[in-house]
Amino acid sequence: MNNSVVSFENVSKRFGKQYAVDGVSFEVQEGRIFGLLGPNGAGKTTSIRMLTNILVPDEGVVRLGGEVVSPETQRHIGYLPEERGLYKKMKVKEQLIYFSRLKGLSRSDSAKSISYWLDRFGAKEWAEKEVSELSKGMQQKIQFIATIAHDPMCLIFDEPFSGLDPINSELLKDIILELRSTGKTIFFATHRMEQVEQLCDDIALFNHGKLVLSGEVSKVKAAFGKNTLKIRFKGSPDFLNQLEHVRIASKSQHSAEIVLKDGADDQKILRHALDSVHVHSFELIEPSVQEIFIDTISKS
Amino acid sequence: MSMIKKIFVVIEREYLVRLRSKVFIISTLLAPVLMVLILVLPSVINALSGDKAQYFVVHDETGLIDTLLMSQDSVFYQRSETGLDELRSQLNLREIQGYIHIPASVLDSNVSVTFFHDGSAGITAGSRIRSDIRQSIRDIKLDQLETPREVREVLEERISVDNVIVSETGEEAADSGLSAILGFIMGFIIYGAMLGYGTLILKSVLEEKSSRIVEVVVSSVRSFELLLGKLFGIALLGLTQFVIWSVSGAAILFFAAPLIALFSGSAEGSAEMAEAQAISIPVIGIDVWIGFTGFFLLGFLIYSSLFAAVGAAVEQESDGQQLQLPIVMLIIVPLLFLFAVADHPTSTMAVITSMIPFFAPILMPARMAVISVPFWQLALTFLLMLLTFLFLIWVSARIYRVGILMYGKEASFKELWKWIWQD
Repeated sequence: MNNSVVSFENVSKRFGKQYAVDGVSFEVQEGRIFGLLGPNGAGKTTSIRMLTNILVPDEGVVRLGGEVVSPETQRHIGYLPEERGLYKKMKVKEQLIYFSRLKGLSRSDSAKSISYWLDRFGAKEWAEKEVSELSKGMQQKIQFIATIAHDPMCLIFDEPFSGLDPINSELLKDIILELRSTGKTIFFATHRMEQVEQLCDDIALFNHGKLVLSGEVSKVKAAFGKNTLKIRFKGSPDFLNQLEHVRIASKSQHSAEIVLKDGADDQKILRHALDSVHVHSFELIEPSVQEIFIDTISKS
Repeated sequence: MSMIKKIFVVIEREYLVRLRSKVFIISTLLAPVLMVLILVLPSVINALSGDKAQYFVVHDETGLIDTLLMSQDSVFYQRSETGLDELRSQLNLREIQGYIHIPASVLDSNVSVTFFHDGSAGITAGSRIRSDIRQSIRDIKLDQLETPREVREVLEERISVDNVIVSETGEEAADSGLSAILGFIMGFIIYGAMLGYGTLILKSVLEEKSSRIVEVVVSSVRSFELLLGKLFGIALLGLTQFVIWSVSGAAILFFAAPLIALFSGSAEGSAEMAEAQAISIPVIGIDVWIGFTGFFLLGFLIYSSLFAAVGAAVEQESDGQQLQLPIVMLIIVPLLFLFAVADHPTSTMAVITSMIPFFAPILMPARMAVISVPFWQLALTFLLMLLTFLFLIWVSARIYRVGILMYGKEASFKELWKWIWQD
């Protein structure tokens, strides 16, 4: 684990007497997309703020590229916060150059990078417009460019897809994957678990300031075991209600996902299903990230 | 990148964005235009109102005074034999603008002369009539007493008392009495500037906080760098406005006399104004200007630190009222002393109040405009203000650093106190 780009070593942060982050340790490798998950107020934003040097940890050390986080490491980070905003009265290009210069780029390097990214997002003609003239979705793209224009080694995206239409979401997803392929390390915080499934290599799950689960997505799933039944059938789905020691994660007229709890017997469920409906398929699968999230949070 | 470089990037943005704003451009240009108007308008109005020849009917029962009045101005004064009742009804019907009733006994006793008019005569006409009649009656009485020429000359004499200020180095300067007024005006300008620019700082902090821009910015620079960049950027803006106003103000005063002559079309007016210039121009010396600017800048920095802290502590401008109140009070208090200080700039009260860092930006320039303030007082005040600023920027930065990331929390004074000591 010597090539870790980001590492949290037993990090804690208190506000008053309350721990916002409590003894958290994890590492993130180069070129990975790292999902930050957890309910609201679990400590994700505080962790991000310590990585960006907005806050300083009370205990422990946060490292970026091997160095302890400081004003010097800030230039290697691009941060797209969940709550975002731009200067309304500034022109798009001027504003992007400002943010990029704050990161330490020269004016001309900033301008070059920004015109490249404006082009990629099909936003070249907005360069001389004031932000207040742009739609929400356009502003979102501009904010994204502000995050990546200085070519940082580590990127933090907090709910980057909110407010984007499907076409722009797809464009953004492609660019995020492209950034990963060029070796960027990406933090991805979201409540949308299907996006985590699609994008993340690793996840860390926070609850009440503590890290309750972390690791490679596939390994986390494997550790959970194949505890979910996926069944497709024809007939009335009422039989699902009679099952014991399970939780119905989702159901429709012809299919259901059933989470097995302690004491559940998959063979018994199969028999019950055969007695009640016509079974098309019956499969034991790994849990979804959503399931892992709910299960872990409700236990911790 | 070094801290200084980042601060300069922030300064540049804060400065340029506001420099280009309509509000700044308009207010910067409007002030000199207003100044020209204030200087030129009275003579323009005079010239315009003078086009309709004003005259008043003189009903003189002595038969002596009207001749003298007519000899002074045969248009302004019109002799009339018409009876008083008839004159009154003419005035009622607005056939005449007014008439002057001089009773027969006026030369023997102290009865009064009465000037009846329709209300349009104005202050100028009224005082002119009063002085003309007094002069005439006095001349007639002196004639009646066969007063010798020498006595009359004594009565006409106007001894002038020159008012000269001698500085410590022995230089002399004429005191026109205008300097106290100038000091008063300077204090007021600084008061307005500190309040105006302080509010601008508050708004600027609030804009970044409520739009959440600040979170992105502080992931790039330290909050202290952002705060300093903001203060210096807007201070530079204030300085720019001052320089523009000073230069245009000096230019306007320099060209004022010919300008007024141009508008009023009277050479007499320009000569009068030129005389007035000769008195007022040297009063705003370069040393006073430097002091004025220096005290403004330090005062601005002191108060802006406080305003920035308030901006960081609240989420909407309206929430800031309670926290702003003590700051605004601090700015207003010296105004209460301003007139007394400008009037008696060497009194103990003036010396002490003008050296209190929170009051100095308003009261010290006011004193400087009137007298030459001892150097030790200036130096000590500067030092005190600098220390105050350094202390306040430290407090403010600590509140700012916590406040800009704090949402949905009522920022009471108690809360702010906790923020200052929070790690």
